[in-house]
Amino acid sequence: MSANTIIKVDNVHVSFWQNNVGVYSLKDLITQRKSPFKSKTILNNISVHIERGESMGILGRNGSGKSTLLRTIAGIIKPDKGSVVVNGTFAPILAIGAGLEQELTGYENIAMLLALYGTERKNSNAIENIRDFSELSDEVLRMPVKQYSSGMTARLAFSISLANNADILIIDEVLAVGDQGFQAKCMDKIHQIKKQGTTILFVSHFPEGVLAICDNAILMEAGQITHRGTAKDICENYKQLF
Amino acid sequence: MVGFFWGFFKPLLYLLIFIVIFKSNSGIDHYILYVTSGLIFWFFFSNVTGQTVGSIVGSAGLIKALNIPTYFFPLSEMLSEMFNLILTVMVFLVLMNWAGIIYGWHMLLILPCILLFSLFTLGLNLFLCSINVFFRDIGIIWGTIQPALFFLTPIAYAESNIQPQYKLIVSLNPIYAFIKLGRSIFYDHAAPPAEMWINCLIISVAMYITGHFVFYKLKNQFISAI
Repeated sequence: MSANTIIKVDNVHVSFWQNNVGVYSLKDLITQRKSPFKSKTILNNISVHIERGESMGILGRNGSGKSTLLRTIAGIIKPDKGSVVVNGTFAPILAIGAGLEQELTGYENIAMLLALYGTERKNSNAIENIRDFSELSDEVLRMPVKQYSSGMTARLAFSISLANNADILIIDEVLAVGDQGFQAKCMDKIHQIKKQGTTILFVSHFPEGVLAICDNAILMEAGQITHRGTAKDICENYKQLF
Repeated sequence: MVGFFWGFFKPLLYLLIFIVIFKSNSGIDHYILYVTSGLIFWFFFSNVTGQTVGSIVGSAGLIKALNIPTYFFPLSEMLSEMFNLILTVMVFLVLMNWAGIIYGWHMLLILPCILLFSLFTLGLNLFLCSINVFFRDIGIIWGTIQPALFFLTPIAYAESNIQPQYKLIVSLNPIYAFIKLGRSIFYDHAAPPAEMWINCLIISVAMYITGHFVFYKLKNQFISAI
């Protein structure tokens, strides 16, 4: 166990209550007479240590527990068993459709998320930086986010995540919907951030992206880590899944 | 400001309706003062619960993305309405000059009264908003119960209008305990007796502990259900 470990996840179990099919309201509960929930294991005995400055790719099928693992690391989900120790700060996990308030405008979202992270006081040009990086016009940023295209949402979300200068950057499939120009720009920016020593957790379904960014990777299946190793090996394992 | 405006407009509308229907045969002196002193507290209660019941579900995006305490969502709704209530009470004190209010130092007791009522409301909200995450019809059910509760609470009519055999309903109504407390300050022009305070204290603490317990029991499961 080196002193340089920034994220220490040990034997973590996470289970969710899953709605029993058809019971979503009190009315259903009374009329259908079924138990409303059953417990479902999402993460099963996960252990992973990440060094400061390391970039770790997380690959796996849909529903294998990748996002839950990221949220557990970020402290959003408390594990049932096991421990998560993190020695650093996080940028918000802005996946598609999470984190941005649909009713608020782009600017209001920026202000809210910066305020929640306390970035505003440290860095007064944070708003300009976000606007410049996202390449969204003033007019667009004055519109409610619900009117954005998915690519525009991704641009805004990613630009806000970058503005916090956090120790750990979590990227959850947010780049997939940006156009090619923006994707290339993001890749450049991620490389730059990586050089500064930021730890990166990168979830993607595109092995090319993982190969370009990550040193190491893990492959998840049904809530467990089945393979771990260099990004190159794991990408090969991932391709064999299909 | 919009919230404050609506906070003021709704009781006013109800007051007008009650004046038209009940004022002449209510048998209550200073009817306007009597009704208004109940209405402002009722609408505080009904606004907060109505807004908060969906507060966890409505903030799903933020809750999934940031490690912020979910407790803040119901709490912030309650605090902003509490602020509105204090403003409303101040305007009310001026307007009721024409309706026969008698000013005095005992009116400062309204602050602990608001605090107790808020604690009760927060407890109920914690309960409602966390259950609503799993059963989405709680908001609808609560919206149905609320008007019934309103008319079971002696706000527009005197407590003595209720038939003696149904008195139990009124004495079991927790909201009426708080409205009575506020009303004895504004309408009876006196410091409420100690047993009224103790009654309200017990109700609000018990409600808060229940809500807090349910909320903390369920909060780790919010993410999977929103």
